[in-house]
Amino acid sequence: MTESPGLVLVVDDDALSRLLLSRGLEQDGHHVRAVANGLEALQALRDGPFDCVLLDVLMPEMDGYQVLEHIRGDPKLRHTPVIMISALEDVDSVVRCIEMGAEDYLPKPFDPVLLRARINAGLARKRLDDLEQEYLEQVGQVIAAAAAVEAGRFDSGQLDSVAGRDDALGQLARVFQRMATEIRARELRLKQQVRKLRIEIDEVRAARQVAEITETEYFQDLQRKVAELRLDSDA
Amino acid sequence: MSRVISIHSFRGGTGKSNTAANVATLLAAEGQRIGVVDTDLQSPGIHALFGLDQETMRYSLNEYLWGGCDITQAAHDMTTSLDAGLRGRVYLVPSSIKVNDIARVMREGYDVGLLNEGFRQLVKRLSLDVLMLDTHPGLNEETLLSIAMSNALAIMMRPDHQDYEGTKVTLSVARKLQVPDVVLVVNKTPPLFDPEEVRERVEKAYECEVTAVLPHADELMTLSSAGIFALRYPDHPVTGLYRQIAARLTA
Repeated sequence: MTESPGLVLVVDDDALSRLLLSRGLEQDGHHVRAVANGLEALQALRDGPFDCVLLDVLMPEMDGYQVLEHIRGDPKLRHTPVIMISALEDVDSVVRCIEMGAEDYLPKPFDPVLLRARINAGLARKRLDDLEQEYLEQVGQVIAAAAAVEAGRFDSGQLDSVAGRDDALGQLARVFQRMATEIRARELRLKQQVRKLRIEIDEVRAARQVAEITETEYFQDLQRKVAELRLDSDA
Repeated sequence: MSRVISIHSFRGGTGKSNTAANVATLLAAEGQRIGVVDTDLQSPGIHALFGLDQETMRYSLNEYLWGGCDITQAAHDMTTSLDAGLRGRVYLVPSSIKVNDIARVMREGYDVGLLNEGFRQLVKRLSLDVLMLDTHPGLNEETLLSIAMSNALAIMMRPDHQDYEGTKVTLSVARKLQVPDVVLVVNKTPPLFDPEEVRERVEKAYECEVTAVLPHADELMTLSSAGIFALRYPDHPVTGLYRQIAARLTA
């Protein structure tokens, strides 16, 4: 039994091959869906994501090349590892498939040890790809959150999924979330102040202060001389 | 006709020196001859905005008030050092930044009457269009004299409860001194405030024209005390507001 089972799509027009592959994979704990040609494979891929595809090269209706081309051209499927199934002597087709983006190949007749090794390597790569994709998506969420702060549309729960990470990105999201929440709270307080902007002056106290200044001898002297102090006077 | 313009506020930190330096420079850019006097002898600051340091400060307002020099000897022509191709001229009469001089002013004071005579000489001998006074906050004898001499007075305030009452007192005093042209300038307005709403409320509360509502600008904070904002950012909205103030005070 493998420690990390995956969902594997087996595509082969040969019923015996499908049976052998499915059995071998299921014995290792993987979940398997087996189909007999390229068209069925595309339908299965549309139905849901797979962690790995085992794909025969030569099949009626739609061959392995076409299926591989379709997978690599679809943004949602392009990261799915594809292991081509090929006769040992058919080196040219193996090379062509690798060039088209297949991860690996599995020669017929199947060697259970080799099958296990290739599948596990493919699944490991898929998990790394998934982690990278998730990381990039979450970096995108932090960037989107920054834009939302700028636009005044930030929702404090917007980064919850990223903030739950236990790595540096999670820490960045938590700090960002806290700062954005504090800024939002400050903005709200200021907005409330704007609404409350009242210029309240204690008129009695202000008048008393004015009197304290204007009742001085200096001020009254200044008041008497004010006309001659100005530049437009000739004094 | 020459004009004396005072930039004043009841409390410190309202942006008087920045406003005075920017308005003066913008008027000089239009071709006017401007004299700027730092009458804040107790806490001088505007010299830094013009890039004048202690080494290049030959004489200051202090020497003039203590009989050590002629007022025009204390006037430093900043036009060339600003390196902005100003069509007019800017002269700066700084206050001394020597600690001993500041201590002496606070200890001994000076003959306030000499200010009036010095300002008149400056205007006449340097053929100034505008004499701009950057005052000490509050209402002491020299600031009252500066206000009394002014043809136009801009009272700076922030939209802050600490400034409201003092602004009211300053405005009342200026009215009693019959300053012909008094306006308010609201400065350091937080970005979330609607400038028009602030203007309306302040005008209503003080029954006085608000010439400009200046925002709290990051660039202004960064450049504060280190240069003339309007020269560094000629197209910035804040520079536009300084132009507005300059035009209004010389209208």
